[in-house]
Amino acid sequence: MELLSTVFLLILLLALLGGGLWVALSLMLVGMAGMMMFSSAPMGDVLATTVWGASNSWALAALPLFIWMGEILFRSRLSEDLFSGLAPWMGRIPGRLLHVNILGSGIFAAVSGSSAATAATIGKMTIPELSGRGYQQNMIIGTLAGSATLGLLIPPSIVLIVYGVATEQSIARLFIAGVLPGLLLVILFMGYVMIWSLRQPKENLAKEEVLPFKEKVNRSRRLIPVVLIISGVIGSVYSGIASPTDAAAVGVLLSLVFSYFTGSLNRKSFIEGLMGATKTSCMIAFILAGAAFLTVAMGFSGIPKSLASWISTLELSPYALLFALTLFFIVLGCFLDGISVVVLTTSVIMPMVEQAGIDPLWFGIFLVIVVEMSQITPPVGFNLFVLQNLTGRNILQISKSALPFFLLMLVALLIVTVFPEIVTALPDQMGG
Amino acid sequence: MRRILDVIYTCGAGLAAVFILGICLLVAAQVFMNLVDRLLILSGFDAVGLSIPSYADFTGFFLAASSFLALAYTMRAGGHIRVTLMLHQLSPKWRHVFEVASLLTGGVLTIYFAFYTGRLVWDSFIYEDLSAGIISVPLWIPQFSMLLGLIILSISFIDDIVCVLSGEKPSYHGKGEEALLEKEAPTTMYEGE
Amino acid sequence: ADEWDMPTPYPDKTFHTQNIIQFAKDVEESTKGELKIKVHTAGSLFKHADIKNAVRGGQVPIGEFFLSLLSNENPVFGVDSQPFLATSYEDADKLWKAQKKVVSKLLDKQGLMILYSVPWPPQGLYVRKEVSSVEDLKGVKFRAYNATLERLASQMGAAPTQVEVPDIPQAFATGHVEAMMTSPSTGANSKAWDFVNHYYDIRAWLPKNVVVVNKRTFRRLDKSVQEAVLQAAAAAEKRGWEMSRQETTEQTKVLADNGMAVHEPTSEMLKEFQMLGSQMIDYWVSEAGPEGRAILEQYNAK
Ligand code: NA
Ligand code: NA
Repeated sequence: MELLSTVFLLILLLALLGGGLWVALSLMLVGMAGMMMFSSAPMGDVLATTVWGASNSWALAALPLFIWMGEILFRSRLSEDLFSGLAPWMGRIPGRLLHVNILGSGIFAAVSGSSAATAATIGKMTIPELSGRGYQQNMIIGTLAGSATLGLLIPPSIVLIVYGVATEQSIARLFIAGVLPGLLLVILFMGYVMIWSLRQPKENLAKEEVLPFKEKVNRSRRLIPVVLIISGVIGSVYSGIASPTDAAAVGVLLSLVFSYFTGSLNRKSFIEGLMGATKTSCMIAFILAGAAFLTVAMGFSGIPKSLASWISTLELSPYALLFALTLFFIVLGCFLDGISVVVLTTSVIMPMVEQAGIDPLWFGIFLVIVVEMSQITPPVGFNLFVLQNLTGRNILQISKSALPFFLLMLVALLIVTVFPEIVTALPDQMGG
Repeated sequence: MRRILDVIYTCGAGLAAVFILGICLLVAAQVFMNLVDRLLILSGFDAVGLSIPSYADFTGFFLAASSFLALAYTMRAGGHIRVTLMLHQLSPKWRHVFEVASLLTGGVLTIYFAFYTGRLVWDSFIYEDLSAGIISVPLWIPQFSMLLGLIILSISFIDDIVCVLSGEKPSYHGKGEEALLEKEAPTTMYEGE
Repeated sequence: ADEWDMPTPYPDKTFHTQNIIQFAKDVEESTKGELKIKVHTAGSLFKHADIKNAVRGGQVPIGEFFLSLLSNENPVFGVDSQPFLATSYEDADKLWKAQKKVVSKLLDKQGLMILYSVPWPPQGLYVRKEVSSVEDLKGVKFRAYNATLERLASQMGAAPTQVEVPDIPQAFATGHVEAMMTSPSTGANSKAWDFVNHYYDIRAWLPKNVVVVNKRTFRRLDKSVQEAVLQAAAAAEKRGWEMSRQETTEQTKVLADNGMAVHEPTSEMLKEFQMLGSQMIDYWVSEAGPEGRAILEQYNAK
């Protein structure tokens, strides 16, 4: 019965999405269907309460600001400067400026706690530049979709906070634990881009001019404003005058100041940027609201819990358990957003995990990598939505471009399972 | 009539933008105060704890206001995400049917949602619910922004349903950002999402 | 048979949650499955701020929340969070007896009925640098998340600072905040030793969580089931207070075992805190009016 109803809900979601209903509304409708089938709670009131609760959130307030920062930089000369400054240096590295997507996301992830904000901010700047320079579009999309997920793994991270609160793990330790796996993913992504690039016929690749050293240094001066903005934002967090959410406002102000001094800020571009940010953050917030209601409806239905309990009855060995959980999370992650997966399942999963002798700190990082993967799996994946919004490409095309990066994250999962020290080494240094 | 409706959508969006600006200013002011405090300590004085009371609460409320007030505008600008892959395979006649079905479903759902949000606001109002922070805010005030946004979105849906049924294109037709698409032949994807 | 969804704000391992899980089991057993309570922990169903209203609106029949979260609505909800008023379990019990009638009446107006209430362990002072008097707290950045704590900070001459819970470790690490008050449980669960060194067992107050039911839903139950719920609630209250006492010693030991310096405050320091407390309670009475005065009178009567 429960299995049948679950299958019914999945088919309903696919039908609604496929039929062209807006994503946020599809999520809400499926949530309502779930509540009708499994619960006698008053659906409409629950809808209003949970959406209100999910929408007035301090932690999410950074989202529109980071998106606005991306809009400002996109409208200024700063994003062009970033590429002109980097291009001469990266001309010899296979993959060239595609690495900007990866490194840019990695650096930006150190201030932003969400992958959607990372994708929106970095993508806004890099997509037009890279496609203008003739890079292959599916690689532009793929690198961005994959590496924007680093926003969740490299501290700060909204998902790690949610996990830490729900499982009473130290958030400070979780943050530190995410650093090396984050770097591991950066290396895997860059390595893949290089190998991909070396195997391409030359005429398929974008050209970057080769310049004498002095000219390279000369052009690098154009990097100064961007470097100052990034270090200002990171510095404000690590000096303690700004919380990670506050840092987004610092980013907006610095971007405004620099684009004013480079002459690209005027009334029109200011308003256009602000309205662009309003639209994009409204889109993301609406989907998050739909996802929050679906999460609560699933909580009322008890479906994720009973699936997880079913896994626990199998009495698997630790590795088999991890394998089963990975499959379970990947499937859930196709239909729910990452935070929901953590919220809905930790309470059933953690006892299993601890009984199997798995370190809950390590498992948190493992879980976040799986959650990252869910950001780029169709039909419900936030990075896919952000990229659809930025590029106009459809979700299947985008997820196809992102597939190699999904597989690379699977490789990363394997690596941290075989070498758990990648996760635990840094937090162990904290002592205690 | 057309003009009045468009003014409503634009006003909603304008207010939403003001709230994002508000978040930015509020947070920036707090960071500036933290900086002043830090400088005081560095120059040997005691910290005074300069702060904007309940600023985290206010940012949350502003975020909700901005998200909901911009709903209709974002919808009409093609900003909300939908999957149009299948629609593009259909004949114009069937595509029209699906468009009407989506708009009707969306409209009914939004009106339903707005009705229950109205109840939420009303309950907060009669029970005089207050926020828990340093400054106590009557909750119905920030919640009202959610209601207002949903009402405007409901109006926009009805507006679009009327348009589509009278044979016009929906407001979001052919809009939305398509940074990559313009570089390719856009023949198969002329309908905006 | 009925099935109740019960949202709670705190994680599974928190003793309040453990107590609720046991309460749910007791109800299911004593009603022979007539009433099942499905506990949704850690804010997974409703956010903490929304739980009370969700029960009020009948969205869920039962829920738990932090009582003084409501002190903006009426100061009497927050009398258990007044610093240095009731600082031992005996006093906390006396205060709850004085407070319960008024609080029940206020919640009754919202269609809510209190099933039981359990205190957190006494709040201690977590501070980065060693302090020997209240004077030493002058200019120290002190975490304040409500009006009472903000006033306390100002009274101590400390700098009230707002930090959201998830940001606490980083705020300590960067010096954005230097002191906070919370229970040894919360300190141990959040591994406070990662970011702060000194713990003073000043027993400032014992705030409480309450478990409430929607009155209408409760009345619809069979008389025998109602009785069973009330009995399980009484047992949970008794068990919860005992757990809270145990938690105090155990978790304080956990703090020490992990390298925090656990200090007994000097009697002089306690006296200064008591003085602050009595000033603050005067202000509280002026806010809380006759109802508040009545609570204090009953509490102070022997
Ligand atoms: Na991050
Ligand atoms: Na997904």
